[in-house]
Amino acid sequence: MRKSLVGDKVAYGELLRETGRLLRPFLSRRLSFESEVDDVLQEILISIHKARHTYDGARPYKPWMYAIAKFRLQDYLCVHYADQLRHAEDISGLENILHVDVTESAISYESISGEVLKLPEKQATILQLIHQEGYTSKEVAARLGMTESAVKVAAHRAYKVLRQKLER
Amino acid sequence: MKDFEQLVAELADEASMVKPAPHPYLLSVKLVGAAILYLAVSLAVSGVRHDWVQAISRPWFVAELLALFMIFITASLSASLLSFPDLHQKRRQAFSPLWMFALFLIVVFFAWRADSPAAALPEHTIECTSCIVLMALIPTAWTFYVMRNYASTHGHWAGSVAILAAFSVGALWLRLQESNDSILHVIEWHYLPMLAFAAVGLWMGKWLLKW
Repeated sequence: MRKSLVGDKVAYGELLRETGRLLRPFLSRRLSFESEVDDVLQEILISIHKARHTYDGARPYKPWMYAIAKFRLQDYLCVHYADQLRHAEDISGLENILHVDVTESAISYESISGEVLKLPEKQATILQLIHQEGYTSKEVAARLGMTESAVKVAAHRAYKVLRQKLER
Repeated sequence: MKDFEQLVAELADEASMVKPAPHPYLLSVKLVGAAILYLAVSLAVSGVRHDWVQAISRPWFVAELLALFMIFITASLSASLLSFPDLHQKRRQAFSPLWMFALFLIVVFFAWRADSPAAALPEHTIECTSCIVLMALIPTAWTFYVMRNYASTHGHWAGSVAILAAFSVGALWLRLQESNDSILHVIEWHYLPMLAFAAVGLWMGKWLLKW
C-alpha cells in the first residue's frame, strides 16, 4: 500500500488482487450468492481506491481495509433487507385480496369487454374465463397451469388497471 | 458490474501519487484552532459578561466551563478520528466524549447542588437556545466540511460528535457572554438543547458524511 500511495501502479494492482483474495472468503461467509459476493467485493475495492489517502503507511493495512469492507457490506445488507421488506409489504397487501371472491363484480363483463381485450394476454384470458365463461378461479388456475393465488393476483391487477381506465 | 480483473486494472491505472491525509491529531488541532479563533472573535464582538471577575471566582462555574471546554476538545478529537475508516486504530479516544460528557453531568449536578439559595431564573428562555444554535452554525458547517474530505465509516457517531463540538463552542460563548447564574436555566436552555442537537447529528452524520 505504501508503494501504491507514491503511484506504483504494479504494486497497487497486486495489492487490490491480494485484497480481493482476502475478502472473498470473508464475504462468502456473510452473503448467500456468488454474484452478491462479486458485487460487494468490487464496491469495496472502489471504496478502498477512493479512501486510499486516509491510509497511514505507519499503521497495519488489514484493520483499515476490513473497516472499509465491513462498512460497505453493512451498506449493502441495509439496502438488501430494505428491498426485501418492501417486497414483503407488497405481498402483505395482496393477502387482503386473496380471500376475496374475484368472480363477483358489480359491472357486467360485456360493458367493459373492449377494455379487457386491451389488457395483457394472460390477464385478459383470466377475466374472460371468469366473467364470460363462468369459471371459478380454481378452475381457471387448473386450466392455465397456474396456482389459484396467482390467478387471483393477476385478476386483481387487471381490475386495478380497468378501474383506473374507467375512472378517467 | 465489471469483471474483477478489469476493475483492478482500471483502478491500478488510476493510481497516482496521493497526498496523504494529515494525522487525526493534527486535524483536530486544525478544528480546535479554528473554533477557538471563532470563539475569541465572537467574544471580542459581543463582549464578555460584565461580572466575569466575580463569576470566575466561583469554583463550580470554573469547573463547568472547564468540563464544557473538555467536551469541545474531546469531541473535536473524536470527530477527527471518526473521519478515518479505522478510527486510526484509536477506538478508545474516538469514544472519549462519552466519558467527558458523564464528567460534565457530574460537574453540573454539583453546580446545581451548590446553587443555594437558587439564583433567580432569567426572564428569557428559548432565546438562549437560539443564540447557541446561531453561534454553532459556522463551526458545524466547518467541521462537516473538513470531515467530508476523509472517509468516515461511523457516520452516525461522527455526525453526533461534530455537532457536539460545534454546539459546545456556542454554549461556551453564551456562558462567557451572558450574566446568568441560574444553573437550572442553563441546564434547561443551554445543555439539554445541545444534547438534543447532538442526537440530531446522528442522522445528519449518516446523511452528510456519505461517500
